[in-house]
Amino acid sequence: MAPPPAVAAHDLSLGYGAGPALEGVHFEAAAGTTLCVLGPNGGGKTTLFRALIGDLRPLAGEVRVAGRPAYLAQTERTRLDFPVSALDVALMGSLASGRWWLPPRRAERHAALAALERVGLAAQAGTLFGELSGGQRRRAMLARALTQDAAVLLLDEPFAGVDPASAELMTAVFDELRSEGRTLLVSTHDVESARSFDLVLCLNGLQVAFGAPGESLGREVLEATYGSDLVILEEPPERPVRAITVQHHEH
Amino acid sequence: MILVYSVGMDLAAIPSPVELIELPATQIALAELVLLAVAGGLLGAFVVLRRLAFFSHAVGTATFPGLVVADATGFSATVAGLCVAVGYAGGVERASHTGRAPGDTATGLLLVAALAGGIILASDVFESGAAVDRLLFGTAIGLDGGDLALSGVAALLAVAGTVLLGRAWTAGGFDSVSAPLLGVPARRADLLLLLLVALSAVAALPAVGALLVTSIFVVPAAVARLFTRDMRGLLLWSMAVAAAQGTLGLYLSIWLDVPPGPAVAVLGAGVYALCATGIGARSRLPGEEAA
Amino acid sequence: MDPLDILLDPLRSGIERRALAEVILLGGICGALSFWIMSFRLSYPAESLAHGLLPGLVLASLAGVPLLLGGTCGVALAAGLVALASSDPRVGADSATAVVVTGMFGLGALLALSPDAPARLEELLFGDPLGVTDSDLLASAALATLGAGTLAALHRPLCAVAFDSPGAGALGLRPGAVRLALMMLLAAAVAVAVQGLGSLLVLAVLVAPAVAVRSRASGPARAMLCGALVAAGAGVVGLYASHHLGSAAGASVALALCAAAGAGAALPERVRPPGAPGGGASPARRAAA
Repeated sequence: MAPPPAVAAHDLSLGYGAGPALEGVHFEAAAGTTLCVLGPNGGGKTTLFRALIGDLRPLAGEVRVAGRPAYLAQTERTRLDFPVSALDVALMGSLASGRWWLPPRRAERHAALAALERVGLAAQAGTLFGELSGGQRRRAMLARALTQDAAVLLLDEPFAGVDPASAELMTAVFDELRSEGRTLLVSTHDVESARSFDLVLCLNGLQVAFGAPGESLGREVLEATYGSDLVILEEPPERPVRAITVQHHEH
Repeated sequence: MILVYSVGMDLAAIPSPVELIELPATQIALAELVLLAVAGGLLGAFVVLRRLAFFSHAVGTATFPGLVVADATGFSATVAGLCVAVGYAGGVERASHTGRAPGDTATGLLLVAALAGGIILASDVFESGAAVDRLLFGTAIGLDGGDLALSGVAALLAVAGTVLLGRAWTAGGFDSVSAPLLGVPARRADLLLLLLVALSAVAALPAVGALLVTSIFVVPAAVARLFTRDMRGLLLWSMAVAAAQGTLGLYLSIWLDVPPGPAVAVLGAGVYALCATGIGARSRLPGEEAA
Repeated sequence: MDPLDILLDPLRSGIERRALAEVILLGGICGALSFWIMSFRLSYPAESLAHGLLPGLVLASLAGVPLLLGGTCGVALAAGLVALASSDPRVGADSATAVVVTGMFGLGALLALSPDAPARLEELLFGDPLGVTDSDLLASAALATLGAGTLAALHRPLCAVAFDSPGAGALGLRPGAVRLALMMLLAAAVAVAVQGLGSLLVLAVLVAPAVAVRSRASGPARAMLCGALVAAGAGVVGLYASHHLGSAAGASVALALCAAAGAGAALPERVRPPGAPGGGASPARRAAA
């Protein structure tokens, strides 16, 4: 019998009260796979992630994740004026192991420092979170996810608003995580990068497609996902469609 | 009932409602509370809509030290109150538009400082401690023509403001982008709202006191809001509730021999509680679809 | 007056020694708690609780029952009513809270100002540190101990939830439970501290210390410790001022706390290293891709 999937959703329907924001989600990802969640802003990517971390109860259907997933959120709801250092943030990851009433143990401290080193923030361990640059802050949050040592990582648009150097560092870390056999769910709007993933899930208020990128990312699927925000660059026969998407950012 | 006896209230002396209208002192008080009901009802609707409840409380409370000084030195309490209130309103408006809004913390501390300063002035500097209850909670029999005049002005301005700026005030609450399209700059309209609330709060000070301004500016409008979303209905009901609450509150205040502020506050909150849980119990408002 | 006398004079009276002990104890725990009250934006709820518990105090005073009991019942009732009123979708939470607080506060004033009632309203409103009894000190000590223990045990969850509430939920913590525990500690602090500072002024000890140390805070633990020291210090300064200047004791302590907050707010912010973002840019703007 096949081992249970690391992440699974069955006939999932999610909403915030006025009706479903996302419905018909049905997929499974085995342990060790990388899954790209594609879709326009407002299409439901973050909604799905919130359900996967247990922050949002399904209106219908169910969602299952192996263990407690690590979550790298998109918009920074973190308080920039709350006085914690990068190391403090990384240490928060070890809270997932349960004993919150105890101060961090030495092993946890080592793990947090190692995580900071992995993301290139070893020198900034004592710096206040609010004093870091945007890319550094994202990396500090990634360090928190690394300290958590979770089998499943949910990364919501990890490269949005991040400088190229930080993005490169983060990509290297993702590759390492992948080779460690962890399951990564990454949401993005970059169609081209989706092709390097094992699986792709297209969302636009509902599930448009799920499967391997080669089969799933055809022109019809992309148009259904992005509608008029899609710009086809080239559509060679028997080769993948190349396209980019137009982004709208509501503030 | 046991409680009533333990505080020694004299239940036998229930005043006749007619006395309320006959005695000159209470006539003035009645007129005052009715005029305040106009201002408080109309402006209160916008206070509730625009989330200015804390502001209306703060602007009243902040006048306390000024009132103490005025009371002890013979300076006009009205002028002192207006200076503080208008200054506070202007400061809040400017701060909110430069993005550095004072916030609950700063306002809370400001009010504590005002109250602490006021009580020290009253009890230790001027030794006018006896006036403190009146300044904080109002008086029914100590009102004069000047207070009536101010309340009349407040009522008139409230009516004028509602007629001329009501739409701008409502629109500003929901969508500050479309507000300028209505012809009045949103910022100027907002400033006028804050100033009118400040002025009316000062007008209410003699009757209900510095600490219970919200009994007139928030409670009636909140009651009205339980029943209607429609702006016109809100304004009319708000005034009606404020007038009824003011009249009954005055009656209660004379019967129990307490200042009007607490009486009006308790009565209004009681009405709200009844309406929120009983009669209007979570029934769907007109215009809402079935869930 | 001999400088040493200035220092020692208040210590000669048992009443004032107790008052000093009270402000030091309460200042300590409320000063530490103050950091979390600011971080979780609880100053308006704190003020609502402080004003809303007045009927409890008045009834306790009239019935001859310890004020702490009245304060505790008052705070519990106020919290319950505010929660109930705020859950009504027809009226906004701030207006609903204002209605409850106005009604409760008015009720307290009504009960206290009824002619035959003993006129202790001023002390209930503005505080009476000099009226502290040994049992009040015991209550303050209990609050300080319990509060310190709770804050120590909850330290990491409080940090995680204050920093990133949904993220904390993802880590397996329960932000709702953490907030509830903090609210309960706040309610207990209000109920105990209200006897020294009064319903109208108690907010000062719960909020001013955090404002005073904010610009210098390099971490939660340090902010709590400095807050405790500032609050206790301001309390002592206030009592000394009251003794030598003859001003009302509770109000003097409150003004000292507000002055500390003002001084702290006027201090420049911590120097930021070059290349770091300037203060004040909102996270929403920063998250733009």
